[in-house]
Amino acid sequence: MKPYLQYLVILLDDTSVAYCHANNPLTEPKLIPLDTLRKAILFGMKQNLMIQFVYPNYELPVEYHKVIESIDHIKIGREVLVYDSVPQMAYTNNLVLRLTINEFITKQNDIASLLQQAKRINICLTDTENFQEEQMEEYKNALATLNAVLLNLYKQVKSPQLNILTDRMQLTEMHNCGAGISNITIAPNGKFYLCPAFYYDEQMGISNRMNHKTKDASRSVGDLDNGIDIPNKQLLQLDHAPLCRICDAYHCKRCIWLNQKMTWDNNTPSRQQCVLAHLERNAARDLQLALKEVGYLIKNEIKEITYLDPFDIKEEY
Amino acid sequence: MRKLKIKTGDSGWQEGMAKSITFIVTKDCQLACKYCYLVGKNEKERMSFDVAKAAIDYILDRENKQNFAFESVVWEFIGGEPFLEIDLIDRICDYIKQELFRRDHHWFNSYRFSFSTNGINYHSDKVQKFIEKNRQHLSIGITIDGTRRKHDLNRIWKGNGPERGSYDDVVRNIPLWLQQFPGAGTKVTISSEDIPYICESVLHLYELGIRQVNINCVFEVVWKEGDDMLFEEQLVQLADIIIDKGYYQDYSCSFFTEHMGKPMDCKYQNQNWCGAGKMLSIDAKGNFYPCTRFAQYSLRDKEAWIIGNINDGIDNNKLRPFLTLDRCTQSSPECIDCEVAEGCAWCQGENFDAAKTHTVYERATAICKMHKARVRANNYYWNKLYRKLELEGKREEYEQNKKQSNDVIC
Repeated sequence: MKPYLQYLVILLDDTSVAYCHANNPLTEPKLIPLDTLRKAILFGMKQNLMIQFVYPNYELPVEYHKVIESIDHIKIGREVLVYDSVPQMAYTNNLVLRLTINEFITKQNDIASLLQQAKRINICLTDTENFQEEQMEEYKNALATLNAVLLNLYKQVKSPQLNILTDRMQLTEMHNCGAGISNITIAPNGKFYLCPAFYYDEQMGISNRMNHKTKDASRSVGDLDNGIDIPNKQLLQLDHAPLCRICDAYHCKRCIWLNQKMTWDNNTPSRQQCVLAHLERNAARDLQLALKEVGYLIKNEIKEITYLDPFDIKEEY
Repeated sequence: MRKLKIKTGDSGWQEGMAKSITFIVTKDCQLACKYCYLVGKNEKERMSFDVAKAAIDYILDRENKQNFAFESVVWEFIGGEPFLEIDLIDRICDYIKQELFRRDHHWFNSYRFSFSTNGINYHSDKVQKFIEKNRQHLSIGITIDGTRRKHDLNRIWKGNGPERGSYDDVVRNIPLWLQQFPGAGTKVTISSEDIPYICESVLHLYELGIRQVNINCVFEVVWKEGDDMLFEEQLVQLADIIIDKGYYQDYSCSFFTEHMGKPMDCKYQNQNWCGAGKMLSIDAKGNFYPCTRFAQYSLRDKEAWIIGNINDGIDNNKLRPFLTLDRCTQSSPECIDCEVAEGCAWCQGENFDAAKTHTVYERATAICKMHKARVRANNYYWNKLYRKLELEGKREEYEQNKKQSNDVIC
């Protein structure tokens, strides 16, 4: 089925927690006006979208709770906890760890401990753009460590999920972030953005490479009064991404914001993003083979490949 | 009986096997051509020898490495008008030759210096001395747009006061140029105003002795209602004369090619049109670009697409969108389904400049109706020529001997 809009992310405040690659540089609280929140929820209801509220680190005024609870939703920053480090304990079943590559490598054992407690951990690397190929071995080793932990847990008939290793084992096609395609973000100013990162960039006045006809830093793709209008929307889709459509690192975030930041084109990933995703893909293959050896029935076997960046084999397509 | 010949456009030197490296030596020009896409020309940005030297060192240090693994190299000099900087160019070329030799670089036996000039300074002592010195490794194209009235309509001298055309200043150098480069071709640009003069202009260039006329319509949004019909009329007139007078045997005009006007397949005919990203351009500040058209002086609405510089090298991430480009991904469904898609050209720089977002993946289609008109005239040309050959009993001979055609666009 062709991907379609399914999720509406509502940033409740300028300081709502960052839960993905991009850090939130905004430090001044600016709560979404109650009226805007109501309109956003109404939009979500009419478009049949699952709503994800992104919370700030402070308690919301009581009148907001009633409005929020008027619709089925997920609370990012409450039910789904987001950490910028590795916590000692998993206080929820589902948590997001936003880490630098170095933090991920050095904290691999702490992450391993958390895997024994949580049902799902999402690792989000916050400095993909700084990844050096010299870090490859260390990253591979960290993935191997976590593979060993996962294998042990699977042997105990526990099956925790670690996005960068277990997601790929389940997938048979690309399942990426989907910014602008399967999800869209509303910021406290009532405007739509492909994802929160584009709102942060706009607020920080970072040079606009999206709506280039305007000389300001505007990154919005519509507003609640006029609806969503994404110029060149086709370039967000997989079939318009020459590298990604030939790739089988199906779990890759395929982060549009990182694409734009690193290669200046929405549909083209950087080498860093590709290599990291392939190291994870290959580690997922190792885990799959190990599980097969201990008797697990494997449906979608991940093939052996010789490249880490689809750019290197693009001529074959 | 004279053996049948049909002249086709010549392929570029070592086409596909040569790395094209362009030095934007100056952004100044004596002329202010009305259709020029260089919106930021100026007298200040002149390349220094040190910047050129640093760029050459960077490039030659990477023999056979990423971005430079090519059998041959074309060192191109562009402006503005490159020959305004002939002293600098001479020094740069000397340095290139010395370094290729000193490093025993494989390009030493396979290099070209290439120029596209307005021809005004062509006869000067300095330019002539340079030509003499580098004759075996030179390609020079002089731009002359056709008849005086067509040429002077657009190619006028810079400055205030009454408009002054440059035809006389260029045409006087054509005999010397053709004597030195007998097979050379000229590049003619068509904008809206000069459509009525296409036929006479191509024939005039033939009369001047230029056997290869590379001609194309500008890619920008300039076309008016009815331009396509007028364009078609001009091309049909030209087709009649070329065929009736037998010019097709010794002269070529890139508007007419057998390889255009058919639907295209997204799997087997999906190549990108232009070489942006495979080329490298360097400006006076030492910045690198995927093609000159991505430098700021070429862009109306967008920021320059700088892929690196002589100090930090090339950021390969900034090249990835160019090196993964294909025809269908950047084309609209209308272009993909077009029944006469074959031969329809685009300029990646104009695509970028005209795009709604910051992308090289949105194909500009301002040229659409002109392409369709060209296809109709081209079909007419080949139907008429084939019939003539059949009636003369030469069709079979032609089919056996024909070469692949070549469209020269940018």
